[in-house]
Amino acid sequence: MFRHTTLRYATLALLLAGALFQALTAGYFGLEILTEILILAMLVLALDIVAGFGGMVSLCHGALMGVGAYAFTILSTSAGIAPPIAMGGAVALSGAIAWIIGAICSRSHGIYFIMATLAFGQMAYSYVFEAPIFGGDDGLSGIRRLDLSLIGLNLNDSRTFALFCLVLLGAVYGAAVLILRSGLGRSFSGVMHNEQRMRALGLTVWRVKADVFGLSGMIAGLAGTLAAQHIMYISPGLLTWTVSGEALVVVILGGLGTLVGPLVGAAAFVVLKHEISGITPYWHLAVGLILIGVVMSRSNGIFGWIEKRWGARLDRRLADATRSQDQKEVTTDA
Amino acid sequence: MAHDLGFWVLQALNALQLSMLLFLLSIGLTVIFGLMHFVNLAHGSLYAMGAYVAASLAAVGGYWMGFFLAPVAVAGVGVLLYSGLIRRMRRAGPMAQVLVTFGLIFALLDLTRIIWGDLALAIDVPASLSGRLTLLGIEYPVYRLFIIALGVAIFATLAFVLGRTQIGAMIRAGVDNDCMAACLGINVERLFFIVFCVGCGLAGLSGAVAAPLLSVTPDMGLQILIPTLIVIVIGGLGSLRGAIAGSLIYGFVQTFGAVLAPQLASVLIYALLAAVLVIKPVGLFPAKG
Repeated sequence: MFRHTTLRYATLALLLAGALFQALTAGYFGLEILTEILILAMLVLALDIVAGFGGMVSLCHGALMGVGAYAFTILSTSAGIAPPIAMGGAVALSGAIAWIIGAICSRSHGIYFIMATLAFGQMAYSYVFEAPIFGGDDGLSGIRRLDLSLIGLNLNDSRTFALFCLVLLGAVYGAAVLILRSGLGRSFSGVMHNEQRMRALGLTVWRVKADVFGLSGMIAGLAGTLAAQHIMYISPGLLTWTVSGEALVVVILGGLGTLVGPLVGAAAFVVLKHEISGITPYWHLAVGLILIGVVMSRSNGIFGWIEKRWGARLDRRLADATRSQDQKEVTTDA
Repeated sequence: MAHDLGFWVLQALNALQLSMLLFLLSIGLTVIFGLMHFVNLAHGSLYAMGAYVAASLAAVGGYWMGFFLAPVAVAGVGVLLYSGLIRRMRRAGPMAQVLVTFGLIFALLDLTRIIWGDLALAIDVPASLSGRLTLLGIEYPVYRLFIIALGVAIFATLAFVLGRTQIGAMIRAGVDNDCMAACLGINVERLFFIVFCVGCGLAGLSGAVAAPLLSVTPDMGLQILIPTLIVIVIGGLGSLRGAIAGSLIYGFVQTFGAVLAPQLASVLIYALLAAVLVIKPVGLFPAKG
């Protein structure tokens, strides 16, 4: 089950402070990067729920995000539905698709699961690429952002939009923690550790997997609707499997199954990408080498590494404290 | 739809040619997976590297120099990869392997861009294989027939080596149960190494063969990777029969899908893959029963 440690609270507080500081002080370019980080963070949060706590390493989350983005665009432009309802519809649709994918793939494990989700992701990609209503290779434009003038907010301002994304990310993080702490989330982790035992306990394993995968898909879809509103233009490139691969890379760089780690990873990844592409056009090379290094080091990403070191120190301090307490008791007894 | 015989022959040849190209790529990947339980996503990058090496060598010493030396060069890259990375990742889980080789895709992609630049390279079909041949009333490029023949030849060779020789028996034993094979005195580690290098060499060969048909670009490895993975997952991991069956299924579904139902073609193959995974989660002809 997911627990908050002191270190996790501290990291969250630091990230929040950093994001708020950036949102209130940065210029246009800094705000764009911040929004990019926030949207990516939402996607990798969705991926970490299924990959880190249920062992469902999905390579279709990029496609689910794309489904959210396309559904939002079609509903709010061609169908003429009000953007808030379109957002809800897009989230529901990507959740439903994710539920079906999760149900179908619940029987496969390991590399077969990765391949199966890859196939579904590519299926969505090819469909969007070919079907005329999605604009094919050219993509779709003319997307409008949510109108929040009722409560005095103008989302077309990049600062407000970044803060809006931050609030949504916070809500999604809270929802993720709630999901993982609920009975469903605990059963989900149980299935990862011992599927047979959970089945023997009377659990319908495929339902649990499909339900959590569907919830994760809803989060990915929400990230998609935000991505569409951020760039105000979408193309099939959103759905390619390399997007899902990159999301997986971010989860691993940050720390799988820690929920906080992937947020750190998202920030590190986007900043790194922009810094390196400022120096050289070959930023893929650097990211590839860093990824190989992190995986070869056998530690659980950046945050996992910190947690391990911090955790060891904390354990030692606790052990010291109990030992001195024991000695005190001995002296009082005497 | 009324199509004459020539149409069907032409499309069947196209499908066969695509199948053979995929077979050359997937057989290396599938045997590496079956034997080592290692997922090498960077296999497509090795194919791209083969195409680039072949294109460079062809500019210097003609097509055949590229054809024969590119597999050797890529096998050499395979040796480096094996001793540097793969051997250490052997005992790691599938996710770590997927990620390391994903990182490798990134790194190799940019390395090819640094060495050969972003522009597409072209390489000419050799004079002896250019021109067309009349076959059952249709004209077909000789070079494509050459690819089909090469695929069949490689398939026959591998079927002979794997099925009839001692080293083939050792490889099959290793795929079946590597611990038991090691107990029987087979040096499984060395076997892995040989199979990995041969697989890389075959990837290089298919790159060299594909280079005159397609333009040689840095992302050609990424484009071929998904079809190759589909082939080995449909066919079942680790078996020669699975690789050839998967390649033929992919080639025919893709080619005939594209001409008979263009709107559905791209979705069709993924739907087929999903169906196979649902009905037979380990593929049609897995190496292990």
